[in-house]
Amino acid sequence: MSTDSNDSTAIDTHSRGPLLLLLGSGVLWLVVSGVLALITSIQLHTPTFFADCAWLTFGRAQALRETAFVYGWLANAGLALGLWIAVRLGGEAMRAGNWVVVGAVFWNLGVSLSLVGIAAGDAAGHPFFQIPSYAQPLLLVAYGAIAVAGVLAWAGRRHETGFASQWYVFAALFLFPWLFSVAQVTLVWLPVRGVLQAIVAGWFAQGIYSLWLAPLALACAYYLLPKISGRVLPAYSFAVFGFWTLIVMGCWTGGRHLIGGPVPAWIASVAIAACSLMVFHYLVVFLNFRSAIGAKSSALYFTSFGLLAYLLSGLVEAVISLRGVALHAQFTFVEQAVQQLSLYGAVSMVFFGALYFAVPRLVGKNWASSSLVGGHASLVTVGVVLLVVALTAAGVAQSHMMFGATQPAKFAEVASATRPWLLVATAAQVALLLGNLMLLVNFAQTVAALVPFRAAANSVSRPALKSVLS
Amino acid sequence: MKNGPLFFLGLFASLTFSFAGVVLFSNYQLGGLTPYYDDSEGKSFPERLPGVAARGQMVYRDLGCVACHTQQVRRPSFGNDQAQGWGERQSVARDYIHQSYPQLGAARIGQDLTNLAGRKPSALDAEDLMKLLYLGQGAMPAYTFLFQDVKVSGQVPKTALKLTGKSAPLPGHAVVPTERAQVLVAYLLSLNTAYDYPESRPVVKTAAKAEGAHK
Amino acid sequence: MSTPPSPQGDRRFDSAANGDAELLESHAKAASKQTDEKGNYSLLPLGLIFGSSALIFWAAVYVTKFSGRYDPKMFDETAPPSTGVEVVAKVDPIVAGKKLYLSACVACHLPDGNGIAGVNPPLAGAEWVLGSEERLARIVIHGLKGPITVKGSQYNGAMPVFGKVAGSGYNWSDDKIAAVLTYIRQEWGNKGAAVSTELVTAIRTKEGGRKEWSPEELLQIP
Repeated sequence: MSTDSNDSTAIDTHSRGPLLLLLGSGVLWLVVSGVLALITSIQLHTPTFFADCAWLTFGRAQALRETAFVYGWLANAGLALGLWIAVRLGGEAMRAGNWVVVGAVFWNLGVSLSLVGIAAGDAAGHPFFQIPSYAQPLLLVAYGAIAVAGVLAWAGRRHETGFASQWYVFAALFLFPWLFSVAQVTLVWLPVRGVLQAIVAGWFAQGIYSLWLAPLALACAYYLLPKISGRVLPAYSFAVFGFWTLIVMGCWTGGRHLIGGPVPAWIASVAIAACSLMVFHYLVVFLNFRSAIGAKSSALYFTSFGLLAYLLSGLVEAVISLRGVALHAQFTFVEQAVQQLSLYGAVSMVFFGALYFAVPRLVGKNWASSSLVGGHASLVTVGVVLLVVALTAAGVAQSHMMFGATQPAKFAEVASATRPWLLVATAAQVALLLGNLMLLVNFAQTVAALVPFRAAANSVSRPALKSVLS
Repeated sequence: MKNGPLFFLGLFASLTFSFAGVVLFSNYQLGGLTPYYDDSEGKSFPERLPGVAARGQMVYRDLGCVACHTQQVRRPSFGNDQAQGWGERQSVARDYIHQSYPQLGAARIGQDLTNLAGRKPSALDAEDLMKLLYLGQGAMPAYTFLFQDVKVSGQVPKTALKLTGKSAPLPGHAVVPTERAQVLVAYLLSLNTAYDYPESRPVVKTAAKAEGAHK
Repeated sequence: MSTPPSPQGDRRFDSAANGDAELLESHAKAASKQTDEKGNYSLLPLGLIFGSSALIFWAAVYVTKFSGRYDPKMFDETAPPSTGVEVVAKVDPIVAGKKLYLSACVACHLPDGNGIAGVNPPLAGAEWVLGSEERLARIVIHGLKGPITVKGSQYNGAMPVFGKVAGSGYNWSDDKIAAVLTYIRQEWGNKGAAVSTELVTAIRTKEGGRKEWSPEELLQIP
């Protein structure tokens, strides 16, 4: 099998600093959010866990976990991988790498500040938008700095005709600041009135997934599968329709969380219709990838798993948005299960795949440990599957007791009915955390080779390392 | 992507499309909602929260209670929220116009709180709520950091919780709610949306309408 | 610096099958509208077209059916088309009437409806209350002045003006007057018929604004 051309290698080497910084921060945040996820998972079945600590009370811990996961891990990894694909496909070395470094540093400072603020009680209180008001402008400006490299990658691209990955990357890079700034204005600086906040928050949360994270994941998938398999994507000629369906229809589906709520009925009805129209997008994705699913390599394995989860999540959303089903699934753990399926099962797994593909090329040497890669793959697979299944089962039990009964349900009974499943979910979180720790260790060991002073200090004990760098 | 500007224009137009449809149009419809003035009661609904309760709402928000509790009731024909005793009618947009940060909620790990203070047959009172917050119940954790254990010499403070058994404080001590607990309980006791707006129970217009009948 | 190809089963490196330029080229060719060897264009699969059309059709039908006419006051998507929100659900007149009585009338006629001897007549068991509605409504709408005999005793108070007429301090709507009259006719053991809003409106329209009635004038009305 041939390796990448020398052009790509030069591009990778040139952009390694900013991208490895972003990826490293992302993996660190992944572990942090894993710890927080474990805490909240335990608190669900054992409420006394950290109950006396105001900083980690369940409501705040949930917000912490979500922020660390989305704005810590997914944002850093997504931006790194997106920029990497953009510069590689653009055929030019990354420009404004320093801007990316500065942006990354301030983005991570912003996320850290957000976490401290949330723990202190300043969370903004909306799904996927818990960032305190004082950290929001910082994140927006930091994002702008990182995105400069993306803009320049676009402007300086060598080939006029674009590839699907490029559409998705540039769409994600372009749309995020609009989404984020609109949400800031309408929810924090000049808050809209009453239930409109819930409507805007739903629109924003859906936009974060459909217009930012999912496009970044799809960009990675569209790049990796033909690259590793060597075959042209079978349905590529209509990939463009799938792209525009996602972009146009994606944000409308947010209203499905407001079914039966204190909003006019048309918001939910339009959202349900949009969820069904989105099936077309998932169909196009399926047609493009059905032949390339496989496990030849870790990147391909993770990407295939992620794509399967993505397709499943799309189908589940279309079904769960129907009012008859939403009646039972609303407000239960089923919604959390669907969210974990989308964010962890789909987007994160594709990011893992792209990470495993990109890092050796950026660093210039293979991953430090093959067994850690395998361990991460197994643990994360088991973790995600267990988590989604356990949360779904807990949600079904909840729904059966609360919505099936004609007399008031005693919440103590509901709690004991869901307890076994929540214990399984905690076990899944342990597996995920262990797997991600393996990734962190592996990543650190792989990147350690780049640190010059360490190489010099170990020059006696690690001759092989020295020869690689000389 | 040969035509770069058109591509980005298309992206922007798509986002504007959903923004205009979901956000702007809703704002046009609901942004100007006014309170409903009732002739016979002589006041407008929804009523504003008293100051203490408004501060309690901020405590509710910063503790993240919305992670487990919803504050929206679904209509009786959609789910059994009414059978659960959470409300006689569905929540409508007008219920939230005086709230700075409505906490609608998306998960019912705990019960819905829209009508906590207005439930029949018996709503909880301040003492019950204080005990609930201090001791926790079922899946709800014990919020001991909202309370203080103070040494008492002589008369026990008026606000001290009446605790017995294992949770009782040591002799010479009393468990007193902090100000945050007091305003939070005041807020919880103000949660009452019993007023029936016209839009919460729309009437079907038929030729001969029977008097006094509604769904 | 090139990276060595990975041996089978080693997960430390994923090899790529082609370079980026190749990738772009091959896919640009796949997406371009070129004819194949036979000179035919490739067509979109029929299944895709039918599938997407079916989805669009279903979505359109759904939105049309459950849109609630995009009315901001329609929270129930299953409400039939004739549903309106302009009509307020009817309030029980006894409940409304009791509230009104307790807000204004109770000061003189007392909660038990027995009034104050010599000044304010009783309402419980009173022939004026259970008798002609025409007289009763006029008392409340326009007020009453002059000695009046109720249940054998004489009372000399002054009944204020309650209706929506000139000089009224209360300006109660016809609905309210009908409600409170219905209440007093059915409380404290009274078994009278309800008074309708239409009757009150008719009386008020007929009489217009005038000074308080005297009992003699009222007795002339059937």
